[in-house]
Amino acid sequence: MTSEAHLETLRGEVRGWLDVHAPKGWRNARQSHEQFAADQRAWFLKLVEGGYAIPHWPAEWPGGGRSLAEQKVIYEELTRADCPRLLLSFVSTYHAAATLLECGSEAQKARYLPAILKGETWCQGFSEPNAGSDLAALKARAVRKGDVYVVSGQKVWSTMAQYADKCLLLVRTGADGPKQAGITFLLMDMKAKGVTVRPIHQIQGDEEYCEVFLDDVEVPVADRVGEEGAGWAVAQATLSSERGLTLMELSYRMRGAMHYIASLIRKNGLENDAGVLRDFGQLVTRADAACAIADRFLANRIAGIERVGDASLVKNTYSRVLREYSALGLRLGRMDEQYLAPIVFGDLNTGNFMADFMNSYAWTIAGGSEEVQRNIISERMLGMQREPKGWAA
Amino acid sequence: MMIELSELQDAAQKAFPADGLVPDRDVSWKLIAEMGWLMIDLPEADGGLGLGRDALATILFEQGRVLSTAPLIPALLALQAIVASPDLAGREDWIGRICGGEYVPLNLLPGSASVQADGTLAGRITGVFEADMASHVLAGLPGRYVLIPNDAPGVTVTERPLWDRSRRLFDIALDGFRPDPALVLAEDEAAARVHDRISPAAMVALAADSLGGASAALDLTVEYLKTRRQFDRPLAMFQALKHRCADLKTHIASAEALLWSRCIDDAASNIDLGAMKAMATDTYFMVVEEMIQLHGGIGLTEEHQSHLFLKRALLNMQLCGSADNWREAAGRQALAKFAG
Repeated sequence: MTSEAHLETLRGEVRGWLDVHAPKGWRNARQSHEQFAADQRAWFLKLVEGGYAIPHWPAEWPGGGRSLAEQKVIYEELTRADCPRLLLSFVSTYHAAATLLECGSEAQKARYLPAILKGETWCQGFSEPNAGSDLAALKARAVRKGDVYVVSGQKVWSTMAQYADKCLLLVRTGADGPKQAGITFLLMDMKAKGVTVRPIHQIQGDEEYCEVFLDDVEVPVADRVGEEGAGWAVAQATLSSERGLTLMELSYRMRGAMHYIASLIRKNGLENDAGVLRDFGQLVTRADAACAIADRFLANRIAGIERVGDASLVKNTYSRVLREYSALGLRLGRMDEQYLAPIVFGDLNTGNFMADFMNSYAWTIAGGSEEVQRNIISERMLGMQREPKGWAA
Repeated sequence: MMIELSELQDAAQKAFPADGLVPDRDVSWKLIAEMGWLMIDLPEADGGLGLGRDALATILFEQGRVLSTAPLIPALLALQAIVASPDLAGREDWIGRICGGEYVPLNLLPGSASVQADGTLAGRITGVFEADMASHVLAGLPGRYVLIPNDAPGVTVTERPLWDRSRRLFDIALDGFRPDPALVLAEDEAAARVHDRISPAAMVALAADSLGGASAALDLTVEYLKTRRQFDRPLAMFQALKHRCADLKTHIASAEALLWSRCIDDAASNIDLGAMKAMATDTYFMVVEEMIQLHGGIGLTEEHQSHLFLKRALLNMQLCGSADNWREAAGRQALAKFAG
């Protein structure tokens, strides 16, 4: 099915469609988070219309049923055309969809999946102030009262929760046994009484994450995914929904953003400074390596020969090079980077190197921190022994 | 003909098992000639296997893992220079002799020679591996590639003892050496063309050797940390050490990904490949530096294998152009691509 010729035909189709529909000048129109959200909604609906928004969904959905190799082609073309990344709808089309498709009831699928294609957005209510890398330590409490769960607690780092209509929520329904055992997975309406969302003001001025406060919020039992106490297993389906396309896309975008560094070298007359050229040459080579390892990872997944820990190698490569990229830009931009300048909301490689540098931490911290990835690489890939559990202060 | 890379890898691992570090040179060389590895990337029209650079890299990666003593890289590069010299008298004969195991190395460090008033050459060629077993040296000199018989008048071969125990290196001094016009492969522009033809293979070969060595060094280090116990637990249980090993693994994996993608990328420039080699040799150095530290005192002893990797990594860094030069060239190339 996915022969080379077939993939190239698809590539031509996507490219032709993007020639007409790819947004232009979107970075200039993103001076506020509201503008960002508006451009995201419009672009998502346009992609749904074109049939390229949900290539990873099953074939019965319009534009779905694409193999991973085909998805890769679509993402390569979106990146090549420098389209905005889909951030606002990311949790909806990946995490929410994977959860519902793998673990949801027929009624839940019928109710929630079509709405996603009409623009309904989801956020994730997993992390808590005291449950970050150690997610299973979460404490938000849900008590069953008849047909509803009554939920109280606090969630944090919920991406784009201020715009979300629905929430994938992990709560504690039991305190006995291992901490994973008492966790239940709920689908919560963000408009429900008792839900308060507070955007987190990030150091670079963007607001991509929120705190979500839950005060006796009623969630119908019908909106529970899986059995009570089986939420941890459901959450694994949620978290494994993304299959490596994002890091490939990000790596190529970072590679494409090297022109910002080249401009700074020219602007400051450093074209023949051997030290600067070496640093630039090393960075470009490292960025090429980040693209190569992301490609290789996807190729291995497509071939079914991925190993445990491979994803961690890709993430730690990308996030480190992203930091090096923005740090070199800061150094070469000199004093110019110290004067406040407008940021581009919701973008990682903008040429505003102070903002880009601060934003780069998102990738060494979010989605499993660099340190958690190192644990995975060393313990699960290299086989280094785990520490005994049960340490208590 | 399609030979899977995994088959080549299996064959290389069977011929040179992981527990046989620094195998005997002469036995290795004979085995390598028998396995046909000299013919791997030789075009089929010239009687070779016509496989790609990824096949070459696969073999040299495995040779790097065992700290190979046989001079496969200099021999392969000399062979490529001959293949790239259509006017060389007896070209087919030379190809046959080298593929059959007659050792003719290319020098992997710079050489210089000038033509004297009497037509003889005077100068010095450095970086000739295992010259004691060579019949000729294929000298890459500025503006000239020439085959020099080791025993010709005016040729003096002198060993330059190395810290690296896995290889032997020689200088060739020329004084009153009269080159046989039939043994001159290329001069001037033709020599530059030969250089550009063999440079990619040199970069791929050194990168593969380095990353093979780096991965073996990390494997041995992790194995040691898993078995060595202090404070009633294996050292591998300490997170401070785990994270260092994880970072080394990440560096090796990304440098390897670049090697495997660039070695089959026809659009990769010689500078792209040089920068890739620089990344690979830097990675090798980073790993062996940590290898010694993570082994503690035992890593400082001669009986332990760590120093063998360290010394080989440091020599690899010096071969075929410095990392500084390649990086600078890569920066210049990238700058030119983003024209102001």
